[in-house]
Amino acid sequence: MSQSIVAVDRITKRFAGHTAVDALSLTVPPGVIYGLLGPNGAGKSTTIRMILNIYAPDSGTVRLFGEEGTGRDHSGRIGYLPEERGLYPKMRVLDVLLFLAELKGVDRRAARPKALDWLARLGLSDWRLRKVNELSKGMQQKVQFISTILHEPDLLVMDEAFAGLDPVNSQVLKDTVLELRGRGKTILFSTHIMEQAEKVCDHVCIIARGKKLVDGTLADIKRTHGGRHVAIAFDGSGGDSAAAAVLADRKLIAKANDYGQYAELELAPGADAQEILRRLVGAGVRLSRFEQVEPTLTKIFIDLVGPDAARAAAVPEAAAHA
Amino acid sequence: MRKTFAVIRREFIERVRTQWFWVGTILGPLLMAGIIGSQVLLAARKAGDRSIAIVDATTTRFGQELTTQLGAAITRFHLTRIPHAPSTPDSLLGEVEAKHLDGFLLISDSTLEFGTAEYRGSNVSSVADMEQLENGLRRLVFAARLERRGIDTLLVQQAEIRIRLATHKVSGRKLTGESGTQSFLTGFGMAILLFVAILIYGVNVMSSVLEEKTTKIVEVLISSLRPFELMLGKVIGAGAVGIVQLTVWIVSAKVLSGASARMGTGGAGGLGGPGAVGGFQFPQIPTTTLIIFVLYFLLGYFLYAAIYAAVGAMSSTEAEARQAQVPVQLLLMIPYVSFFGILNDPNSSLAVWMTLIPFWSPIATPVRWGASPIPVVELVASLAILLVTVAGVTWVASRIYRVGILMTGKRPNLKELFRWVRAA
Repeated sequence: MSQSIVAVDRITKRFAGHTAVDALSLTVPPGVIYGLLGPNGAGKSTTIRMILNIYAPDSGTVRLFGEEGTGRDHSGRIGYLPEERGLYPKMRVLDVLLFLAELKGVDRRAARPKALDWLARLGLSDWRLRKVNELSKGMQQKVQFISTILHEPDLLVMDEAFAGLDPVNSQVLKDTVLELRGRGKTILFSTHIMEQAEKVCDHVCIIARGKKLVDGTLADIKRTHGGRHVAIAFDGSGGDSAAAAVLADRKLIAKANDYGQYAELELAPGADAQEILRRLVGAGVRLSRFEQVEPTLTKIFIDLVGPDAARAAAVPEAAAHA
Repeated sequence: MRKTFAVIRREFIERVRTQWFWVGTILGPLLMAGIIGSQVLLAARKAGDRSIAIVDATTTRFGQELTTQLGAAITRFHLTRIPHAPSTPDSLLGEVEAKHLDGFLLISDSTLEFGTAEYRGSNVSSVADMEQLENGLRRLVFAARLERRGIDTLLVQQAEIRIRLATHKVSGRKLTGESGTQSFLTGFGMAILLFVAILIYGVNVMSSVLEEKTTKIVEVLISSLRPFELMLGKVIGAGAVGIVQLTVWIVSAKVLSGASARMGTGGAGGLGGPGAVGGFQFPQIPTTTLIIFVLYFLLGYFLYAAIYAAVGAMSSTEAEARQAQVPVQLLLMIPYVSFFGILNDPNSSLAVWMTLIPFWSPIATPVRWGASPIPVVELVASLAILLVTVAGVTWVASRIYRVGILMTGKRPNLKELFRWVRAA
């Protein structure tokens, strides 16, 4: 439909003879939850830092909100939660929030009621005048999260979003993220935990060793990667011969295991499961079950990056961040 | 600019809120007041009466004469002559302990022959008392020895004349009304203040950079504003704290110097009182000196703060940073330790070079100015070189800062630093 929120075009970043990100392109449409997935050391953080203009890419371009200017120029519209969390330990909670809002271009006076509101929502009102280092880790996480959304960004970028969060904060984060998406905001986050990504992402991009392996909507990816199996069951009222004719069509079905009342089909390349269903129904076959067997994201992920993940694990974490 | 201002504001407010700021701000003048106060007290104590016994073991009339003449010369010394007996010193010690006596002087024939005498008392640490006593003894022994040779003491007294060398600092073509001692004190004070202030506030910038790096908050900051804006904000913010603190110190110094002048610490008087003793006078600081001081403090601070910011950025831990800043501190120490040389000969080639070399001129120039006027050409050259260096160093430091704040792991070597600076 409209302009993409983030358009990354063949960005490359090298660190001391090691290519962290290699000609990576991705597009984040507006109003989606976009997951940047990959094993440790895949280049997720480096990609995010280039999107935010913390690092300048060695080559390639990043375009935000369909407009000119770097991530820093648009920083007022972006909220960023880095992988390594941290606040000023000796500052008061409210002061930290106001300071970070100021850096996002929000006036202190305008930021104050919003900060107090958020602190109240997350149960931290009594702590607003305490120093950050007097708070528990979980509370600090909440404060940091408030700081990333206080200025009501259009784009929320979270690196390893759920890493290190306790279950309560994890829930708070997920709820807030979904609420933001509901208000038309765009969320880009990286993670290596596929179960989480599968639950919340609309779009994903899987990268390994700095290169993109696949991207698109979650549904598309499932369809194209392993969404190639269909299980059907006949209701036993005949029409088997009609079914056999459909199943024999090699343009639709690469392989079929017919057990009589139940069959497992592997789709031919380019074939659409919906077409098989239509043909079967059209031929008068009565079905009690028709199911596209979807692989989990975890399975797709391991299929795609399995060997790479093993190799990436051999690379020290520091090299990926250096 | 608004974001830089937010950084300045944070840096300033957070620093002013710490206890250390208040301790430093208040303790500085208190320390000064303490020094001046103790000088005043000392001066007051000097005028106090002392009762001293003179234990006379001489076989001549010298002991008797000495007692009368010394008592006449130093009226605040109340002297009693006691003929020497083996038990006298012990019994007198009891008197001193009971505070009936401040002390006792032991004289014998060898006082006249070899100039030896002994004083035991509770006031031996009083420089003024001892100096007066010693001076008085010297004169009397001197006179007695002359007399023994048949020389008229009156003649000697007439021939003898005390030289009083008045030292006045010349600035331009007029006298500044500053004495040599005051010039020295001004220079000394400025050297300490500049060294300490530049060092403290520079290190503050360093630890502030390091704090943001170790807490990882720097990544959030850098996604919002340019590294240079952040660095500039820090340097200005910490510098503003310095200005406030220095202002408090200088104003209180002015007030205190006025107060100490009113209380009058001078007037040693008496026989052989050399005037300088206890004559601590807080120097009057002329406005031009103050302007030079503030100007060079600011430029020197900016120069070193930029370097300290880079040092903070290239380190990963507090310990590493402390180690890395040692060369910087040594660089700043050079003009500080050579301030005596500069004061001694403000127009020597050492002093001139120190004024021109930008890493040293922030301390050396005000010190030199405090001692002697600097030719305008040299002053302009010094300022110009310093300004250019501040700009250049800030540029280099900001390049190192930009790369360093996002770096973890080992500290870069010089080659790597060079690459950071060159990096686009």
